[in-house]
Amino acid sequence: MKVVTGVVGNDIHVVANRLIDISLQARGFEVFNLGVNTYLEEFLDAVIETNADVLLISSLNGEAEGWCREVKILKSKYGNLLDDVVFMIGGNLVVGTGTAEDIVPKFKDYGFDLVFHQVDLNTGLDELEKYLKERK
Amino acid sequence: MSLLQEEREIIVQNKYADHFDFAEIEDFVKNASKDLFISHNFKNANKMLVQPRGGFPTYQKQYDLYEFFVNANVDVLPLTIDSNTRLNDYATSAKMLKLSEENEVDMLNGYPLVNHGYKTTRKMITHFNKPVSLRHGTPDARLLIENAIASGIFEIEGGPITYLLPYSKNFPLDKAFLYWKYVERVCANYSKLNEPINRESFGPLTATLVPPCVTIVIQLLEMLLSLEEGVKSFSVSFSQTGSMNQDIVTGAVIRKMAKYYAEEIGCGDASIHLVYHQWMGAFPTDKNFAECLINTSTVIAAMIGADKIITKTRDEASGIPTKESNAKTVANTQYTLRMLQGLPNIIDKEEEEILTEEVKSIMEAVFNDPADTLWRKVFNSIKNGTIDVPFSPHIINHNEVVTVRDKNKNIRIIKKGNLPISDRCFEYEKKQCDLNKDASSIVNDIIHDIGIMQW
Repeated sequence: MKVVTGVVGNDIHVVANRLIDISLQARGFEVFNLGVNTYLEEFLDAVIETNADVLLISSLNGEAEGWCREVKILKSKYGNLLDDVVFMIGGNLVVGTGTAEDIVPKFKDYGFDLVFHQVDLNTGLDELEKYLKERK
Repeated sequence: MSLLQEEREIIVQNKYADHFDFAEIEDFVKNASKDLFISHNFKNANKMLVQPRGGFPTYQKQYDLYEFFVNANVDVLPLTIDSNTRLNDYATSAKMLKLSEENEVDMLNGYPLVNHGYKTTRKMITHFNKPVSLRHGTPDARLLIENAIASGIFEIEGGPITYLLPYSKNFPLDKAFLYWKYVERVCANYSKLNEPINRESFGPLTATLVPPCVTIVIQLLEMLLSLEEGVKSFSVSFSQTGSMNQDIVTGAVIRKMAKYYAEEIGCGDASIHLVYHQWMGAFPTDKNFAECLINTSTVIAAMIGADKIITKTRDEASGIPTKESNAKTVANTQYTLRMLQGLPNIIDKEEEEILTEEVKSIMEAVFNDPADTLWRKVFNSIKNGTIDVPFSPHIINHNEVVTVRDKNKNIRIIKKGNLPISDRCFEYEKKQCDLNKDASSIVNDIIHDIGIMQW
């Protein structure tokens, strides 16, 4: 399974990004890590280029909220090319405070299949594996 | 006119900078008080120099900060530069400076030296008559260091590797090498006029589980790149690793290796100093614990016999420190240092031998790169992962090296990527760790090991 990952926006928090990379590799995924400071367009380009199964975006400073509103519009530009790709996002998803009950539906509406706000990394990846298994 | 001088004339013609009078500046450096030169202080102080961190946007606030530091018995004053200036965005720093002056709110995280200009800043530096160290993080520091030296700041921190790999995702590394070559040459030329200008490398790097062999190699290479341009006074540095023993071993090896490699390139006449950074990772939010940590750092620096210590404050976890708490650390550190005289000399032969071998293997691989100049060899070595800094955000960095802490909190390499260390050394590193865990426990260990001072 191929995963494209990275930190969205002007966020430069690299530690979690590296840990996601290491964890995914340990679970047997082939990882294409775009690193910190990555724009939405770059993520989608990379998914097409690598023919990835999963796009895992992370955010620490909460910029995700601002950027991810445009996921659907961007996705539609690629026709049905991205229909089978799992869109996942995790980290600290809003600037300031917010509860998962409010945030998760909002991001699902933006076009994400899996949304994890302030959830432990391994729990999030367990959920991803479960989701992929069930989808088969 | 030399090519360098032509380049200098172009660089200083910037609408945000003072008009540069090079003849006047040379005269100033030639006749400047010896006390302003940290290289002179290193020779004559007979104690570990204490240097805090700090930079405020306005002249007045910076002046007030220096007054607090001087009252706390500081040895070296810092001048920390704001992040817009670091990215050469002088228009934004000018605007933010104006807002800071008008509203008495700090809109910059440091002192915008280019906007203030050298003519103004020199008044403050010469008034306090203490050595000042320029702290920034700038890949293209050409205009900045011209302003610094013209202001009377005779220590320049940074380097093409240590100011790039921890701070930037995609600033071109080859350009950084060339911009820093300019810095080295300007420093070398001014060094002929009075006491030498001191250059200092930034050893903490990402301050996140960087193995000592990588830190030392990068320190040595930035030192060599500087000395080969004619710099005569250089400080290698590193930050507290989290293991006292590993700090002592690192200090011993970096000192020996720096001397060895300086002599190898025929620069044995340069004076080399060792700088120790108090803990650079995540700090405890409890301010009393923060003070315990700071004090322990000071003890370790004394054990190592560092020539200078760079301090943190009890406010570290909460934001930019107040001048009061910043000065308090200086006073406390001086107090602790007065107690620590005539310490025992601890030597861990086995650890020193392993670390020395690792450093030599990586250095040899860099030198064996077929490129024609040292900076190109180093550039290629970073590109191909011979040098690999854990947790660097830069796209050129390999990110293949994985490290964890052993039971004594030493940082160990458990995945070596393309680091050219011998099997013997790699086996030794791994042997210290429990690697029979599943992958997710190892990731949890890494998370724990990064935040080690918070628990």
